[in-house]
Amino acid sequence: MEITIAELQATIAVAGRFDANETEAFDSFVSDLVDANQCSLAIELSQVNFIDSTALASLVTLMKRCRERGGDLVLVDPSEPLRVILELTALDQAFTVILGDGNSAAA
Amino acid sequence: MENYRRWASEPLTGPPVVSVVIPAYNEEWRIVPTIGAIASHMSSRRDTWELIVADDGSTDTTCELIRELGLVNLRLLEAEENGGKGSAVRRGMLAARGDYVLFADADQSTPIEQFDLLLEQIVGGAADVVVGSRSAEGADVAHKSPVRKIFSAGLNTIVRRGFGLDLSDTQCGFKLFTADAAHRLFHLQQIDGFSFDLEILYIAQRLGMKIAEVPVGWVDAPGSTVDAGKVALRFFTDFARIRIADARGIYRRTVPARARDSATGARTAA
Repeated sequence: MEITIAELQATIAVAGRFDANETEAFDSFVSDLVDANQCSLAIELSQVNFIDSTALASLVTLMKRCRERGGDLVLVDPSEPLRVILELTALDQAFTVILGDGNSAAA
Repeated sequence: MENYRRWASEPLTGPPVVSVVIPAYNEEWRIVPTIGAIASHMSSRRDTWELIVADDGSTDTTCELIRELGLVNLRLLEAEENGGKGSAVRRGMLAARGDYVLFADADQSTPIEQFDLLLEQIVGGAADVVVGSRSAEGADVAHKSPVRKIFSAGLNTIVRRGFGLDLSDTQCGFKLFTADAAHRLFHLQQIDGFSFDLEILYIAQRLGMKIAEVPVGWVDAPGSTVDAGKVALRFFTDFARIRIADARGIYRRTVPARARDSATGARTAA
């Protein structure tokens, strides 16, 4: 997993395989942001080829923390495998998902 | 997404080109993302394909979750009892209808994209069996635990010296078979536990099948259901069973003819 951040947009780009081996580093990174009151986050997922249940749980937890603070967590441009996984787990209903064309996914 | 949606909702009208078999035992935490990744990639290819999940007597909600997905080209083979990984894979492989049959572990340790590399080795009759290898030159292995490394090295030595198999990795849960090879090998299989891979490859070699090895990417998935200590002990018992079965001529038995569904226009060339 590679993480890059565009500070002005509060966008976190994740790349590669996003799984249980990577969630500790991800959780630690985003916790610092939320603790610093940066609670409107966009996670850019176009370069993620696989996400497992642990990473999905991590995103759900993060979404709840953001919403509790009046913000939100948005998933941006998920790759096709991720879109399928989000659909099969019904998590496309829970997250705000912005597709590559800028439109919201039909949840 | 269009290809995936078509695969998810429109039943195949004939035997597929490719079957993917996933053995599953208490995989409620991991199975759905794995199915999603496999469905996305395989549907993006032009070959028709089916997915078979061979349950191994799961006591959690694995089967319920899979049924609820409602994927029309996914077949769930349920088992009343836990018979071992080898038994689950056997049921899946013998139920497969594709010209090429892949079995892949439920944890997506080897990303499904690697299937394309294995297929290149098997089309046109270049091989009967293609084995994904985590040890061959060019393999990309991440997060492999020290216990697994030691276990793999020891097993590799035994496989080479004790069974005469010139393979760097017999245990990677990512192997591709032609339909004929799968039919014959899994009918002859005697081992129901984790060492069934070794037995299958040993039989393939004894029958003169062509075995190719392809380096693959592999990521150790935390939460593995494998107990390395128990598996190691079981392996030694199974080594003896394989030798005895071979001496008794079991691997040279005739197997029943393979029943094929009639081909239809739904099939495409591989």
